[in-house]
This record gives sequence, structure tokens and C-alpha cells, in this order.
Amino acid sequence: MLRIKKSLKRILCAGLAAAVSVTMTVSAFAAEPYESYMYDTWEDAIPSQNAYRINNVVSGSEMGLSRIQDPNDALYVEGASARLSNPKDMYLDEESQQFWIADTDNNRVLRLDMDLKVTGVYTGVFGSSEIAVGEDGESKFAAPSGVFAKKSLYTGELYLYIADYDNSRVVKATVDSERKLSLVQEYTKPDTELYSVETFNPSKIVVDFAENVYAVCTSVNTGSVQFNKEGEFQGFYGANRVEVTAKVIAQKLWRKIASNEQISGMARNVPVEYANFDIDEDGFIYTVTEAANTTTDAVKKLNPAGYNIWDNETGDEYKFGDIASEYDATQNQTYSTRLTDIVVSNNGIINVLDFATGRVFQYDRECNLLCIFGTKNSTNDQKGSFSNPNAVEAYGNNIYVIDGSKNDITVYSETTFGKIMHQAVELYDQGRYSDAKPYWEDVIKRDGGYPLAYIGLGKASLNEGEYSKALDYFETAYDQDDYDKAYKYAREDFIRDNFTVIIIVVIVIVAGLIALAQLHKRSIYVFKGRFRSKEKEGK
Amino acid sequence: MYEFTPIGWLKHCVFHPVEGFEDLRWKKQGSMKIAMFIVFLLFVAMVADRQLTGFQFNDNYVKIFNIVPLVVQSVVYYFTWVLGNWSICTLLDGEGTFRKIAIYSAYSLVPYIVCTFISVFLSNFLVQDESIWITAISALGLGWSIVLMIQAMKAAHQYSFSKTLASMLLTLVAMLLILFLAILLLSLFQQVYVFGYSVYTEIAYRIRG
Repeated sequence: MLRIKKSLKRILCAGLAAAVSVTMTVSAFAAEPYESYMYDTWEDAIPSQNAYRINNVVSGSEMGLSRIQDPNDALYVEGASARLSNPKDMYLDEESQQFWIADTDNNRVLRLDMDLKVTGVYTGVFGSSEIAVGEDGESKFAAPSGVFAKKSLYTGELYLYIADYDNSRVVKATVDSERKLSLVQEYTKPDTELYSVETFNPSKIVVDFAENVYAVCTSVNTGSVQFNKEGEFQGFYGANRVEVTAKVIAQKLWRKIASNEQISGMARNVPVEYANFDIDEDGFIYTVTEAANTTTDAVKKLNPAGYNIWDNETGDEYKFGDIASEYDATQNQTYSTRLTDIVVSNNGIINVLDFATGRVFQYDRECNLLCIFGTKNSTNDQKGSFSNPNAVEAYGNNIYVIDGSKNDITVYSETTFGKIMHQAVELYDQGRYSDAKPYWEDVIKRDGGYPLAYIGLGKASLNEGEYSKALDYFETAYDQDDYDKAYKYAREDFIRDNFTVIIIVVIVIVAGLIALAQLHKRSIYVFKGRFRSKEKEGK
Repeated sequence: MYEFTPIGWLKHCVFHPVEGFEDLRWKKQGSMKIAMFIVFLLFVAMVADRQLTGFQFNDNYVKIFNIVPLVVQSVVYYFTWVLGNWSICTLLDGEGTFRKIAIYSAYSLVPYIVCTFISVFLSNFLVQDESIWITAISALGLGWSIVLMIQAMKAAHQYSFSKTLASMLLTLVAMLLILFLAILLLSLFQQVYVFGYSVYTEIAYRIRG
């Protein structure tokens, strides 16, 4: 009987295992081509849930770019390509619900609607320009590599800003139709001694509320070039600093003893120019610097005066991107973070795109890492993996990444986990810890190793006065600073509750010691062992 | 004039930094057993500092606990110190024997060990704002032990103060040399082992094949 039971058990177990393995392979089928991970307190990578999944990948034909080649269509451009070619920038104008894409190698700018269908093709700008004017009076773009759109607070009109790289200008234009832009203003190389660089090649642009134009220019390392609304050169904004390495220090020493001829032959230590920037709702400008292994100024949040708010030198520890560089055995290559684009969405969530690994790192407004997704690997024709990720945009629950080599846009949308996590983070960042509690609990159900969830729950418990619970949560997340705060309250509580007991114990001990001293005075020893040998030696 | 138990002698040495070790030498006292026990306690203190420090002060990588570095940091360093000091001071006309150096060095470690235990204990009841107490006690223990160590070496070898300092610095150099040679030896033996193992596998394959 027992034996039959055993074999039955075995069969049942085998059946269950088979069923589990079948369902597992099925779920693995739909997975992303990467493993999601997070960083814990020790900066070790730990597995995590996917917060985003690949929704779809949109290439030129899916955008409806074939309309450009149709002579009967309003978008018809003679001899134009129906696919993107090395698009370098993408901008989402949330106010007018339009995407703008700088289709760099096709020398044109595209306008897309929210479904990523093309609604406008612009190969140049009409107006009083004298640069690259064609027969039809259109001033043609040459390798536009940055695009920005903003509705003016002064006129209420939508202005499109284009960094026209090879034409050495920034174009400010109004959008007249799906084929026509009218020039409003042209920003060219500043004619002043302050601007000492030979070239003016704007690659990325940002415009603030006062319609000051900030342009990142190639080989200008003193910050972005700033123009005011009237097109006058204002100066440079928010330069990076030189990262202090052993090499820099050594060179500083050599410079002290070298002759002028030798110095002129040395490499100069100049800061790396930043790769891209974005402006948030409050007018803060965020910059990323695409330099391998830089720890200085990799991501900056600049206030209007150009000072970095996220400065680690003031004692904070902001970290962006991958913490250690990664070795890929299949490619025999080491990847280290090269942050190429940043986007700040309206709810304050920051997405940073890493060119080297094709990963998007998402942070909340306090720079807590939320999730990491996307990849770049040898099989980059797979959905969700990139070859040359150039720009990232965020809208609602979606993240858009444009690839300059695959010439397509990958759309990521939130998973359930991501949705709950974002809701929790939203409340958490507003300081509504108790309201965030149910969401964090839900997050933990889906990913038991998510550090921020435990910190959130800990803060909620701390707010509610449940200190021992808070201590447990903070210990799980290994958050020493918050643990310390909770411990302070817990200790106070403990002393208040047990004050009588503590005082009694102290009094008893003191009284005992006094009594012992009195006994010793009268040569009565309570602890004999210690003194016996002394007496013996005395004899 | 001084008649103490072995523990009494230890107490005398610790609380009399100026004369204690001279008295110890004069009376030919000092127990090797106690010295070894102190070295063991040093190791225990290291483990306690790593594992039992209060959560808010424990900056160690607590995910893994490896005992080897702790043994090296306590026991191995101690014996290297004794060995290094003995070899240096033999050359520099020191009077200390190996035994004396071992005992005196161990005795002078006591304040450090005691203060480590106290600060580990305190760290479980203090918050980061009050960390000054822990820092102060650790610094006190370390400073006291250094003073005792200088006095101990001075007494052991009957050196002048400056010669003691010089010999101690040289001892540190000697420790580095010893550890370097030890690592060299270790890697050499590892190579020998690998060689032996590959010969064995080669033979094993031939026999089987």
C-alpha cells in the first residue's frame, strides 16, 4: 500500500514538474531580449521585474513614409527616401501632441502624430535666409541633428527650432503646412571675441520659457551657446569641469617645469562637451555627457544660473548609468556607460539613454533608480535591442527610443509592475508615504527584491509611528540613514516606556557596588578567588 | 616589591604605560598562554566589529562573511610583527628574545581590543549623531595601544626612544617583505600543485586510454 502511494506521488510530482516546465517555456517565449536588473545598496546588480515591455517597433514604412514618394500626395518630395537615415534626434511636443524627428542623413525634419504616422516633411525653410538657398527659394537643411518645438508664451504660436549642423545655424521657424516652414529667426556663429572656436556646428538645442536658445556645438567645451530671443549671443551656459585623474595632475606638474614650446605640444586638459540636454517644466536644464568612465558631471541638473544641483562634491552620491563597466564575452568587448540622451517627463521621471549598452535608466526626481530596460547585443535585429540608440522620449506610459542605425523607433510601454511602481513612486516623491503603502506592497508581491519599495514602506511605518516595523523594512533595504532616524525614535520610545525599570536597575547596581566596597573595607571578600593567590604570594 | 598574579601583571602593564613593561622585564614575568589568548581575543574583536556592530554603523559588505581576511588581519599580522621585530632587532643589538617580543606585543594590544568591544557594544545603542563617542573610544584604544607598543618594544630591547621608533618602522618594512615572500611562496606552491596535478591527469588518461 505504502509503495503504491509512493509511486503515485512520484508520478504526480513528475506530472506537475512537466506542467510547470511547459508553462515556463511559454512565458519565456514572450520575454524581452534582456534580463531586467536593479542596483542595491552595495551597487551590486540584482535581478528585477520588467517595468517596460516592447510594444512595437516603427520603421519608415510603418510611419507611412511611402507617401513621400507618391506624386499625388501632399507630402510628395521628389527623389526622397521612404526610410529614415541615421536619425539623430527626436522631440516630443506634448502641448501640440507631435513628434519631431531630425532625419539627419536625409537632410530633412519629419513631423509625426502620436501614433507615429508622418504628418509633415520639411527639407528646408522659406524666408529671408541666404544660406543654401535652392531654386524654389527654399533654404535647404544640411544634416539637421537637433530639433525642438515650443509654443511661444509671447505670441502663442508654435515655433520649431532646428540645429542645422552642416549649415552652421539654428533655425527658428513657424509651421505653415505639412511641407512648408517659414523662417522667423536664424542664429549663426556669434561674431564676438568671446566665441573663440572656428566652427559653429550646433548638434542639439533646447529653448527655455523666455525663448533663449541653448545650442550644444561640436568642439565648444565651455558649455552650450546661449542666444536670447532677438538672436544675440549671450554667452556660454553650464560648462562641464575637467575630471581630475592622475594623468591630469601629472600634466599639471609637467607644465610647471616645461618650456613654452613643450607646453604647446602637450594635450590640453579641457572638459568634455555634453552630448545632449533637456528642459523640464520648471525650466531646469538637464545635461548628459557622453564620455566613457566619467564620474564628473555625467548627468547634471542646472539651475538658471548654470550651477549643477546634482553635485557630488557637496556630499551627495548621485550615480547614473551602469556602475561597473561590463564585459561581453561573445563580442570580446568591454562596455562602459556613455550616456547620450536624457528626457524628463512631466511627472518628473528622468530617463537616461546609454549609447554603449543600449539601456534606458529611469530615475525619479530624487535620482533613485527605478528601472533599467533595453539592450544592445550582437543580434540587434531583435525587437527591443539597439544598434545606435540616439535619442529617448517619454510620453505618458510610453518610452520611445530612436535608433540611428536600424532607422526605427522602438516603443516601450509599461507593464503592470511598472504601472504600480510608478504610482507608488509618484506618491512617495510627494511625501505621501502612507498613501503609497498599498502600491509598494503590491510591488513587493511582484518583485520581492525591489529596494525602493522597502524604503517606501519603512517611511510609511515611520510616519505611522510603528518604529520596529520601520526598522525591519529599512534593514531589508539596507538603508542605514533612514534606519538611523527610525532607531532614534524607537530608542526614545523604549526609554519612555521602560523608564521606571531602567532607573530601578541602575539604582540596584549602584547600591550593590557601594555595598561591595563597604564589605571590602571590612576585609570581607565576596569574590574570593581573585584575591586568594595574592594573599598566598604575600606570605 | 611588585607581587602580582599573571593577570595582575597584565593589568599593571596596561595601566602603567611608562614603567609597566620595565617592571615586567625586571621581574621576568609575562605569560605566553595569556599572550596567545589575547591574540585570540584580537581575532574575536575583529569578528565582532564586523558582525555585531549596530546596523546604522556597519558599513561592511555583510552579504558574505569570509573569515580568512580577519584571521590574516589579526593573527597573521601579529605573528608577522613579532617575527619582523625579532629579525630586525637581532640585527640592531636588541635584547629581546622571541618570547619576550611575543608576550609584550600581545599585552600592549589589550586597550585596543577592549575599546573595540566597548565601541561595538555602544554602536548598538547610539545613533549616527552620537557617533563621536564611538570614534573617541576607538581612537583612545588605538592611541593607548600604540603608546604601550612603543613602551613594550623599548623595554624588551632596552633601546632609547628614537631607536625604538626607528626599529618599529623597520619592522613594518620587514613585515611587508615577509608577507610579499609568503605570497610569492604561495603562488609558487600553487604552480607546483597545478604541475603535479596535470602530470597526474596525463598519466591517468594514458593508463585508461
